[in-house]
This record gives sequence, C-alpha cells and structure tokens, in this order.
Amino acid sequence: MSRQDHIREFAAQALADGRVDYFIGWKQGYNSSEVVPAFVKDPADVDQLIWTPLCHHNLVTFIKRNMPDPADAKIGLCVKGCDSRTLVALLQEELVDKEKLYVVGVPCDGIVDRRKLEKEFADELVDIAFPERGRVVVTTGKGETREFAQDDVLLDVCGRCRYPNALYADDVAGPLEAEPDREESGPDWSDIADFENLSDDEKQAALERVYATCIRCFACVHVCPVCVCWDKCVNRSREPELVAQKVGAKENLLFQMIHMFHVAGRCTSCGACDRACPVEIPLYLLHRKMNKEIYDMFGFEPGTKLDEKPVFQLFDLATDHFGD
Amino acid sequence: MADQTTTQANDAAVVAGDTAAAGTIDAASGAGAAVAADGAAGDRPVKIVGIVCNWCSYAGADTAGTGRFKQPPNLRLIRVPCTGRVDPLFALKAFEKGADGVLISGCHPGDCHYSEGNYYARRKFELLERMIHHLGIPKERFRWTWVSASEGQRWQQVVTEFVAGVEKLGPREGRAL
Ligand code: SF4
Ligand code: SF4
Repeated sequence: MSRQDHIREFAAQALADGRVDYFIGWKQGYNSSEVVPAFVKDPADVDQLIWTPLCHHNLVTFIKRNMPDPADAKIGLCVKGCDSRTLVALLQEELVDKEKLYVVGVPCDGIVDRRKLEKEFADELVDIAFPERGRVVVTTGKGETREFAQDDVLLDVCGRCRYPNALYADDVAGPLEAEPDREESGPDWSDIADFENLSDDEKQAALERVYATCIRCFACVHVCPVCVCWDKCVNRSREPELVAQKVGAKENLLFQMIHMFHVAGRCTSCGACDRACPVEIPLYLLHRKMNKEIYDMFGFEPGTKLDEKPVFQLFDLATDHFGD
Repeated sequence: MADQTTTQANDAAVVAGDTAAAGTIDAASGAGAAVAADGAAGDRPVKIVGIVCNWCSYAGADTAGTGRFKQPPNLRLIRVPCTGRVDPLFALKAFEKGADGVLISGCHPGDCHYSEGNYYARRKFELLERMIHHLGIPKERFRWTWVSASEGQRWQQVVTEFVAGVEKLGPREGRAL
C-alpha cells in the first residue's frame, strides 16, 4: 500500500469517525506539474489527496496559533519530517492544542524543487511525473519532455535533512525512511559558508542588492509555520510605525531581521519562506545562520524534542557564560 | 546643531519603541554633538546609541558624571527598565536609523533588579551580536556589557574604548542596514 493510499485511508477514517472536522493534505494544482494544499471535509473526497515529491507545503502553517476557522475545529493534517519539527516547536510553546489535532506523519525521501525545474525550460511546465522512486519526468507546454534524477533536483534543505520521519504523529503513512546517524555528524552548515567568508563590505553590498528587491508582500511571514503573531505583527503596525513603510533595502532587511528574531528558537530552517518569496530572496542566509549560531551556543535543534523549552525562554546559570 | 540633536532624540525615541522609554532619553553623556570628536573619520562626529538599564548602567553613567570622569560626547543614552526589556530590534533599528554604533549595558549577572532579566537578555544579546556581524556590521560597532551603579570608572572606560573603536571606522553611510 502506497503512502498516498495510507493518507487517504487515515483521512477517510478520521472524517468518518468524527475525529476531525476537516483534513489538510495535498492535491494536484492547476495541472499535474503543481501541488497545492487540500482541505477535505467529506470522506467521499479523500481521493483528491495525493503524495508525491512535489508536496513541499508545510501544512502546519494552517494551524499555527489555533487560527483555523472555526476556532474550535478539530483538524487532521499530514506532516513530513521537517514539517513535524515546526509542529513540535508550536507544541513546545503551547501555541496549538494537541487535543484538537490528528497528525499523520509522512516519511519523506526528498522534495523536488520546482523552481530548479522551471529554470531548465523556457516554457511553462504542464506535467511532472514520478514513474518510479528517484525518477522525475518533466513535460512542458510545447511538448518537450526530459527526465531528471530526483537527487539532482531536490530542494537544498532536503539534501541536508536530518529528520526524514515525523517527530510527532498519531499515525504514520507506511514504513519509515532511513534516518541519518545524527550522533555521528551534526548539522551541515556548508550552504552559508560562501556568504560567511565574504568581507564585511561585501556582505553589506550583497545584502543591499538582494534586499532592494523585496516588495514586502509578507508571503514569507504568512507561510512561516512558526511566525505566530498574525494580525498583531510589528512589521505591519502603522501606529506606532515601528518599521518604516518605505520599501528600501534598509527597511526590508530590518523587517526580515525582525522576522528572524521573532522566530529564533522556533524556526527550524524549514525553508518555506525561501520557497514562498516571489523575488527569490535567499532568506536562508539569515535563518540558517541563526540556527547555526543557536546550535553553537546551546547545542539546540529547534522542534526536535517535545519536552524541551525553546532556548530563549530559559536560562541556565551553570552553562550560560555569554558576555563573561 | 540644535536641530541635529532633536533629530537624534527623535530617532532614539523610535528605537525605544514606546513612549514610556522615550520620555527618559537623557544626554547624560555630554554636551551633545556640538563637540567634534577628535580623530573622527568623515565629516561629522560619530553617533552612538547607548541602551542602558535603569538600575545599574544608567546609574553607573551617573556615577561617572558625578565623579567628573571625562567621556566622549558621542553617546545618546536610552534608559530601559531592564536589559530583559531590550528587544534585539532596538539595536537593529538604531543601525537602520543611522547610528554608527550601538552599546548595550545592564546589571552584572546576579545583580538584576528583577532577579533574572539579564539572564534571558544575555542569551539574546549573544545571538544578536553574532547576527549583526553576519550582516557585515563590524564588531567595533556593537558591544554589550555589564556596568554596575558603582562602576563609574568602568563606565568611562567602556564608553571611551567603544567610541574610539567606532571613530576609527568613522560614520556609517549608505549601508544595507
Ligand atoms: S523563518 Fe522560514 S525557515 Fe524558519 S520556520 Fe519560518 S518559514 Fe521556516
Ligand atoms: S516573501 Fe520575499 S518579497 Fe515578500 S516580503 Fe518576504 S522577503 Fe520580501
């Protein structure tokens, strides 16, 4: 039985039993090259739910801060390994109510980066098929077809994944994926090394260049599963105007730094913000660095242990020697 | 010059982020920007925002003033109740608004008026410092430290060293943040 079949079965069961009011999964988008989040209310509709390496959306975003409508809804949802970490991060701070959730863990062997594929073709993509594990076949509107190895077109975050299986789930869709030996090797931060090695002036110039293009659409904060203030966001406050309305590199970078600091200790570097940004700002340069330093300071990986408190809500007199 | 001083005060108010803190802005550190600092690169004295807690470092600055310890006049102090009240946003906002350096200071660990504010704060400051350097803002432009109410001399030393470091780099112009 495929993972997709498991998901459908779990969803149908939970809906039929009244365990959930609706179930959040993934379904096909406007064509078979794209996947979008799906909200299923009727057990008869579970057949629209799919599982493919295009299911990049972190569905935890839809339940953050108990925001769903109606407020007391019982919700089922699918989480990949990375998604589950953001859910654990929310649970650690009691920002969501465990009792109202039904979580299906989906072991994941890597999500395909659709943007990487788009850049391979001049035309729009109309179909992305996965005939067997590891193969990706892309077809464009003009009928051009090419095949890729899945490992070559994965999201960058997937290449460094340490948690392919859900860390919190009520049910699991099929057998677990092989876990890397986490004792053996710590997280890999090589993706930000190039930036870290720049001189101060070069860093400033690079940031100026990328942040000048931010259009302050707030897609990054909307999609972020752990950015929880929602309608009370300091970035959008007009009275007082804490962040200038002006859209310039300085203001944009300040806004993004606020986003980073507000999710510090909860951000798992899931990469949803990078994927959502319409102008492709490399937000990972900030959140990956932040997580690297948090790991260095506390040995803490956000969202990995349910009984841990985020590091900025605690202190430890025995081990905190900062500023001494 | 009066205008410039007012602008700085306004900027500082924005940095503080709430009117209560804005009301406590104080030029405790000197006679304002009228005195060009010795050796400042560029064509204006450097502007430095100091964020200090009410109970220790603000009082320490006061002790330094009462003791007539000579200090560079480039610092504008913002008084906050506790370092635990200092949002990393304050420092970043100060840089956005054109500060050439930001200095944060509060009670020594163990001496917090509210027992534990600075224990939380130092975790945040450490991350803030690392992220500020990651943005390409040189080390010399950001410092956080502890100065108690009785350490007038230490306050003088901290401020003098910090201002000298910032002056060496000169005013910041046209930067990303
Ligand atoms: S800031 Fe970005 S990487 Fe971090 S949790 Fe939010 S969406 Fe994910
Ligand atoms: S998604 Fe990108 S363009 Fe939109 S606000 Fe975030 S960083 Fe700016």
